[in-house]
Parts: sequence; structure tokens; C-alpha cells
Amino acid sequence: MLSMNNISKVFKTDLVETHALRDFNLEVNEGEFVAVTGPSGSGKTTFLNIAGLLEGFTHGDYFLDGVNISNLSDNKSAAIRNEKIGFIFQGFNLISDLNLAENVEVPLRYRGFNAKERKIRVERALEQVGLASRMKHLPTQLSGGQQQRVAIARALAGEPRFLLADEPTGNLDSLMARQVMELLEDINKAGTTIIMVTHDADLARRAQRNIQIVDGQVCDFTMYQGGQSEQKPLTIADAASVA
Amino acid sequence: MFQIKPILSMLMRNKSGPLLLLIQIILSVAIVANASFIIAERVGLIARESGIVESEVFDLTVYNFDESIIAHEQNLIDVEIIRNLDGVKAATSSSMTPLSGGGWSSNFSYGTSEEERKDTPNAALYYGDEQMLSTLGVKLIEGRNFYPDEVSSGGPELASLAIVSADFAKDTFGDEPAIGQVMYRGNIGDQPMKIIGVVERLQSAWVDYSNINRSVILNTELGSAFTRFLVRADESAIADLKEAIPAALHKEHPNRVVSGFTTITEHRNSSYRDHELMATVLSMMVVLLLLITSLGLAGMVMFNIERRTKQIGTRRALGAKKRDIVSFFLVENYLLCLVGGLLGGLIAVQLGQQLMTLYSLPKLELIYPIATVAGLLVLTTIAVILPAQKAAKISPATATRSV
Repeated sequence: MLSMNNISKVFKTDLVETHALRDFNLEVNEGEFVAVTGPSGSGKTTFLNIAGLLEGFTHGDYFLDGVNISNLSDNKSAAIRNEKIGFIFQGFNLISDLNLAENVEVPLRYRGFNAKERKIRVERALEQVGLASRMKHLPTQLSGGQQQRVAIARALAGEPRFLLADEPTGNLDSLMARQVMELLEDINKAGTTIIMVTHDADLARRAQRNIQIVDGQVCDFTMYQGGQSEQKPLTIADAASVA
Repeated sequence: MFQIKPILSMLMRNKSGPLLLLIQIILSVAIVANASFIIAERVGLIARESGIVESEVFDLTVYNFDESIIAHEQNLIDVEIIRNLDGVKAATSSSMTPLSGGGWSSNFSYGTSEEERKDTPNAALYYGDEQMLSTLGVKLIEGRNFYPDEVSSGGPELASLAIVSADFAKDTFGDEPAIGQVMYRGNIGDQPMKIIGVVERLQSAWVDYSNINRSVILNTELGSAFTRFLVRADESAIADLKEAIPAALHKEHPNRVVSGFTTITEHRNSSYRDHELMATVLSMMVVLLLLITSLGLAGMVMFNIERRTKQIGTRRALGAKKRDIVSFFLVENYLLCLVGGLLGGLIAVQLGQQLMTLYSLPKLELIYPIATVAGLLVLTTIAVILPAQKAAKISPATATRSV
């Protein structure tokens, strides 16, 4: 599904070179729920941006759903983001001047769906997150948790192959965070691959696999087996055999 | 891809900025449409052809104060003196100078009864001799010129033949031939005047006269002690003639004043000065208004880009191509421009009606508000496209960063 080989990302200024990612390798299989953790400045967001085609990389190979991402045109990148990837942002990133339905509709318009198709998908996505009755509301009329559910509905409406979630519960209280996490788990169970960047170790443990990034490299990963109640860490060797 | 509905929703939910810009567009369209119409009308007036070789014709006036001078005889002598000077192509005495702002006019009737003299056509009235046509350089299109022996001297009542402009002929006789028609001059006497010729075009003295192209030339030298002459000469000779003519006339009779020497071109410039000033001031106002509106549009786009940086990044992350971002801002401003243009156009028509009533201006033609809106759409594109292209360069990675 996602394959990164020796990816590096260097930010250059006149005076310094910053290696945000170096020789970064990662394979994510279809249907996986992967949590990415790491200290601030470790390269999590850079990894997420590269994985989501939000920015390019300096060296290496990246294949997403069989497509070589290196040297894609801006239009092609936009089309892949729109069709294959759903984004969930820490700050929700809803457009405050649009109501919920219009917000969820945004990526569908860029896909070129007709009005009827958009309506069906918007209703279905908002129903999936339990907000179908509030589609005419503005984001400011909702709680943080509800806003994040709208953002998830927006990510789901285009039926992407995988979701990229950037601290999806970072701005939520624990109750709402749990609700959002349960929603993501349900989405994953339905077959969508999820990569979630988080600081929250408890939330990370609920994913099937944890990847820790330190200084721009994968330094460790832990794989959990089974359901939430009987998670058990596997060794790296075990994990390699599973992957 | 056009996103009219969500853009409208955004505009409706965030009214204050767009509303102010909308008011600016409405006022601009209303004012620019009417101002452009007035400019075009004035420019049209100035561009009218007089039918005269303006740069070669000048006038002068001779004031004979000596009571011993027999004016109608002296005038004939004087015109011959002028005609014989080097560089002069033709000369005539004349009751007025075209485009000068002052002169004669009269109504003309088909008969002499009171009934026949009601609601008769009005025309500028030139008294002159057989060299009037060649002096002015007007083109005879029907009939003939006066013969020298047909020209009388001594007073307006002696006129018996007329050469009329094509506009006068058409307005007076319609499709009937003008040649051979007999007419009478206003309320002055019962002397019949037979039309013997028609000239293509001859303007009167008054540039604001609605029937400026209606003119009649009568075959008489007025015999006044104060006489105006029209002279046609090579342009290069006019400066010398300004000295040669007074010298020659004073040599013939010293006790008089010779003044004037103004070309028809100079009269034209003077007569149309107010129109030119009006057109210039209004043009500057139009340019200024359009510039301010364009700056308003560009300013609002730049403000919106700053305000929506994260939103633009998010849209890009969600799949918007660069052209989608550009079209988003273009459509947003086109909508404002079209709504403002429609409302401004309606106000422009209303304003035009008021100007028509108050200042007797012609009715505003619809093409002006339409052209103004079309022009504003072009300006909108110019004002918006660069900031919008800048917005399109906002990285989709902005969506994951704090802005």
C-alpha cells in the first residue's frame, strides 16, 4: 500500500542544512492501522506531509498504491491526494464560512462528482459520523469532537484508500478523544488503511503497529496483536514476519 | 472548476468586506457608464466634420468709421483687394464665421401668410458672394453656384437666390428635390428666394446648435460699415497675410480698423474648449474610479489570501489543483463584479434619466453600462489573477502547520 525506501528530506537555508528525515524506510500494508509517535521535531509531520503528498522529498523512493510518487506533477499529486488519501488534521481545518455539508463536499467538488453524487456521499459520510441531522450547521456551532467528526466525514466522503491523521485527538478532551479514536477504529475495521501521528502513547497502543521516529529515522516499532483488550507487544523479528 | 454555490455561501456569511466592495462597484458602474456616455457624446460632437477647409480659412473684420465711406461700394473694393494678394485662394464678405460662436440664423417658410410662417425650419444664415463656396471649400453636390452678376450688395432684403446644405434640404423638403424650390426668410419681408444649389455639408457658427448642419447661403453682400471677410489661403501664407491685408486695406483707405485673423481651426478649438475640458475631466474621473475599484478588488483578494492561507493549504491538501485556487478567487470576484454591475447598471440607467431631465442630455444607451461591466470584468481579471496565482502557490503542507 505504502512503501518508502531510503527517503530523506533536507531543508536548506543559506547557513544550515536540516535533515528532517534520513534514510527513512517504511512499509504499510493495506488495512493496517499504524500509529506514528516521536518527540517534537523528530520528523513526524514531515513524514506525514511526504506520505500525504503535501510536500516532496529530497532522495529515495516512495510508492503509494503502486504509483511511483517521485517527480509527479503538481496536478497529478493533487489528483492522488483527492482520490486515494483522506486527511484528518489536528485543528480540524474546517472552513468556517461553509456549513457541514458544504465542508464535506469540498474534496468531492475537486473530484468532479455531479451534484447528485455529491449529495449522496455527503449524507452517507455525515451519517457515518453521526452528524447527518446537523448538516446545515456551521462548524462554530459544534463542539471540538463534533468538528473532528465532520473532518473525518470529509476525509471519508471520497472513499479514500487510506487515511492520514495528524494528531486527530490533539485538540480534544479525553472523552471526545476516545469517541474519535473509536470512530477511526471502526473505519479501519471496514478496510481503510490508517496512519495516525500522535503524541498520546495510550492512543498509539490501540493501533496495530507503532512506529517511533527519532531524529528523522524509524528507531523502533512495536506491533500489537489482537483486539484492544488483549494487546501484546511483538518483537521486531515477529513484526517483520507479520509485515 | 467553478464553485459558485459554496462561494456564494461564503460571501453571504461574511458580508461586510464584500458588501463594501459591492457598493464601490455599483457606484463605479453607475458613474463610469454615464461619464463614458457623456465623453463619447462630447468626442462625437468634436469629431463632426464642418465641411470646411478649416486650416486654410480665416476671418477678419473691417470697421469703417469714416462716414464718407459708402459701405456697400467699399466692401466690394476691399474684397477685390484681398483676392489680389499673394497666397489668397478666395475671399468673400460674410455675415458670419463658421464655428465662431456668433452669427445669424433665420426661419424659412414656403409662403408669406401667417399660417405658412408657423413652425418653419430654422437654419444658419450666411450672406455672401460667388466665392463663398470656394472660400470655405464646401462641396456643391446639386445645382450651381451664384454667378458674379447675381450677387447684390446693400442689404439682406436684396437676396433672391439660395444655396442650402444637404441637411437643410432633407429636413425641409424630404425626398422632394430642393433645386427650384422657393422659400421666404422668417418674418423679414416677402422677397422670394429660389434654391439654386445644394452643398454636401456646411456647419453653422454654434457648436451646440442641434441643427448645426442646417445652413443657407444667400446671394447678398450686406453693405454694412462693419464687415466681416472670410479668406482662404495657403496655410503657409496666413502669417504673412495677417500683415499684408491690413496694410493693403489701409493703403486703400487709412481711416478704419482691421482686426481678427482667426482661422476656423482656432474658432473650432475655442468653441469646443468646454467640451474638451468636460471630456478630459470625465476621462480622468473614469480612469481614477476604475483604478480605485481595481485596487479595491486586488486589496480584498490579497487580504483574503492572508486570511485564508490555512484554508487554501487545506483545499490544496484535499485535492484542489492550482487552477482551482485561481478560479476560486476569480469566480468570487466575478460574482461580486456581475452583481455590482447589474445593480450599478440599473442605477446608471436611472441616473441617465435624471441627467436627461435635468441637463437635456441624450438618453443613456444601454451599451454603455454593458461595456462598463465588461470592462470591469477585464479589470477584475487583471487585478485578481496575480494575487490568485500567488495564492495557488501556497503549499498544501500549510494544512498541517500552525498558521
